[in-house]
Amino acid sequence: MSKDIRYAEARALQGHRAGFASRVVADAIDLGVAWLLGLSALLAAGVVRYLLTGPPLRLPVLPNWLDGVAGAAVAVTYLALSWAATGRSVGKQIAGLRVVDRTGRRLSLWRAWSRAVLYVLFPAGLLWVLASRRNASVQDLIVGTAVVYDWAYHAADDASPTGQA
Amino acid sequence: MGDSEGALVPVRSELVGAPRVPDGRADLPWLLVAAAFGLAVEAQRRSLDAADAVVGRFGWPLRALARPAVALARGSVAVARHHLDLDGWVARGLAEQRRAQAVAVNAGRALVAAVLDEIDLDQVVARVDIGRVVDRVDPNQVAARIDLDEIVARVDVDAVAARIDLDAIVSRVDIDAIVARVDLPALTEGVIDEVDLGEIIRESSSTMATETVDALRVQGMRVDGLVSRVVDRILLRQGERQTGPPLDELRP
Repeated sequence: MSKDIRYAEARALQGHRAGFASRVVADAIDLGVAWLLGLSALLAAGVVRYLLTGPPLRLPVLPNWLDGVAGAAVAVTYLALSWAATGRSVGKQIAGLRVVDRTGRRLSLWRAWSRAVLYVLFPAGLLWVLASRRNASVQDLIVGTAVVYDWAYHAADDASPTGQA
Repeated sequence: MGDSEGALVPVRSELVGAPRVPDGRADLPWLLVAAAFGLAVEAQRRSLDAADAVVGRFGWPLRALARPAVALARGSVAVARHHLDLDGWVARGLAEQRRAQAVAVNAGRALVAAVLDEIDLDQVVARVDIGRVVDRVDPNQVAARIDLDEIVARVDVDAVAARIDLDAIVSRVDIDAIVARVDLPALTEGVIDEVDLGEIIRESSSTMATETVDALRVQGMRVDGLVSRVVDRILLRQGERQTGPPLDELRP
């Protein structure tokens, strides 16, 4: 798999733990994706309301608390499902990263959900990557996960995406 | 000779008309008798001449014996000629022979013409079985006899081509009708199916995307290393970070 990668330095780092910059880029993209998902949900709700109650067609305005809860729910759902399915959300796909557990295997749904909740509640935990010798965030330490460079394609039923186990 | 003249008499009388009798003194039977007698006398004279010639060649004994007989015979012939007007009869018989021949020829021609008039050619042709004739003709043999190369070699193709008015022919072609008969949508569909445009677009776009993303990922890796080294330097750390694959943690 790694033979398809033209950059020698990238080939050498496949499976290694990713640093702060790559993960920030990936998470920023994921934040945008989550925001787009929430916006799409609002738009769908507006269209449904328009169909049920008539004009005008406009986005629903949620109360602040509901806005926050709904946004968090969308983000957690998106991140948990993508990490549990392939180990990579859209942002990590672009950045060439994958979330695995301590043994290099794909996350269980429970572990993925826990990690997603922790990230939504405490995004600043990512900063610990800067200080960690193993490039681990606070969430990684709590849940027992790692983010590695992995540019290769892995089928969803491949239990060991990094090929380490 | 006498039989043929007798046979021709009715033909002559019917087809040529009334018989011609020279100077009115003789009819045909008498003429024939006279001619026969004349021929006999003439034959005798010629035989006597021959005998005379033979005697002259074989010497005096024979001549002495034969001369009186020959002289006697000649004398008798001369007497007969003089008294019977033999020469005149002979000439008349010869003339009659010639005329009879001419009459016979004319009569034959007239007969043939009359027969032809009587024949209905249409009926004859109707009785001919053309099918059987054609059956007996072998087209392959006929064709084998024809030298096509020679025939073609004699044809001036350039001259033939020069006489063809291509503009006139093309102007008679209804292009619209031809185009209308072409199933353009089906043709286009077939071409598109063969080309598989989607696969081309996918390949090129995925190649572009891969190059862009790979460049971005590599930049991310470099920045990761740079940031880590800067932070480690600030924290006065010694040695490299433990960023090996996660499984390494499980190893003793």
